[in-house]
Amino acid sequence: MVKSDVQLDAKGLACPMPIVKTKKAMNEVAEGQVLEIQATDKGSVADLAAWSKTVGHQYIGSHEENGVFYHYIRKCNPEVNEAVEKTFEHTISNEEALNGKGLILDVREAAEYTFGHIPGAKSIPMGELAERLTELNKDETIYVICRTGTRSDLAAKQLAEEGFNNIYNVLPGMTGYEGELQKEVE
Amino acid sequence: MSNKVAIIASNGGLFDAYKVFNIATAAAASEKEVAIFFTFEGLNLIHKQGMHGLEMPAGKEHFAEGFANSGVPAIPQLVEMAQELGVKFIACQMTMDVMGLTKADFVEDIEVGGAVTFLEFAKDAAPTLTF
Repeated sequence: MVKSDVQLDAKGLACPMPIVKTKKAMNEVAEGQVLEIQATDKGSVADLAAWSKTVGHQYIGSHEENGVFYHYIRKCNPEVNEAVEKTFEHTISNEEALNGKGLILDVREAAEYTFGHIPGAKSIPMGELAERLTELNKDETIYVICRTGTRSDLAAKQLAEEGFNNIYNVLPGMTGYEGELQKEVE
Repeated sequence: MSNKVAIIASNGGLFDAYKVFNIATAAAASEKEVAIFFTFEGLNLIHKQGMHGLEMPAGKEHFAEGFANSGVPAIPQLVEMAQELGVKFIACQMTMDVMGLTKADFVEDIEVGGAVTFLEFAKDAAPTLTF
């Protein structure tokens, strides 16, 4: 089971209905949340990835189970530049974090983590961080990573304010990671 | 990059209708501004009665079963969907005059115009498609 915030049943529908339904369903999804689309249309695999790219959302991935395709799309705001200013001072490169001794903390959504993460990384989506602080050790070195460094910047600040001492924001983040990816789905 | 898709629908069969409305709704769902110019037989596709009984090309009637089994929406449903997504329908005045049709013969909320009305929309559209 891949975690998502909103689910859309588009099973049994032929092109272009899965796309039309996805567009409508996306209106009910908050920015940063993940929409799951269940479809039986084989064309949906290529179409939903292309649609996401055109419209400016993040296509996370899809997997098939018993003839049903499960697609995951994270809603993005095309108006907001990905290169938002990052203000947390302690940053570290992907390579340094990978070779470091600390914990890699992945703050992307659970579905993004499921479709590929750095082996050994711990997943706590940014929205759950406040209530899951007890899972982390305040004196351990923690490398916070996300897709582009924006969410991890916010999460790093949040952790520093909570009294964590050795926090680093990993830049550029998963977009610049070319190493082995561990996946939770086929 | 242009955000407009311009479509000319000039044929009136069932296959033509699917080609036109599938592309139109997919484009509109991808946040494109879409207009379809219906001319000659293409007017069938938005004719209140005509759109319910569009014909398959001669000799291709055996595809009816495939349509029924593959979950393809009916044409009136696609017409409604397209309009809901903001696709603009322009009916060709000249063809309507020749065929003795009035705006009342067509689905609601269409525009009636001549070639220039369409060309004005299509001048900065990419792609422009003809069916």
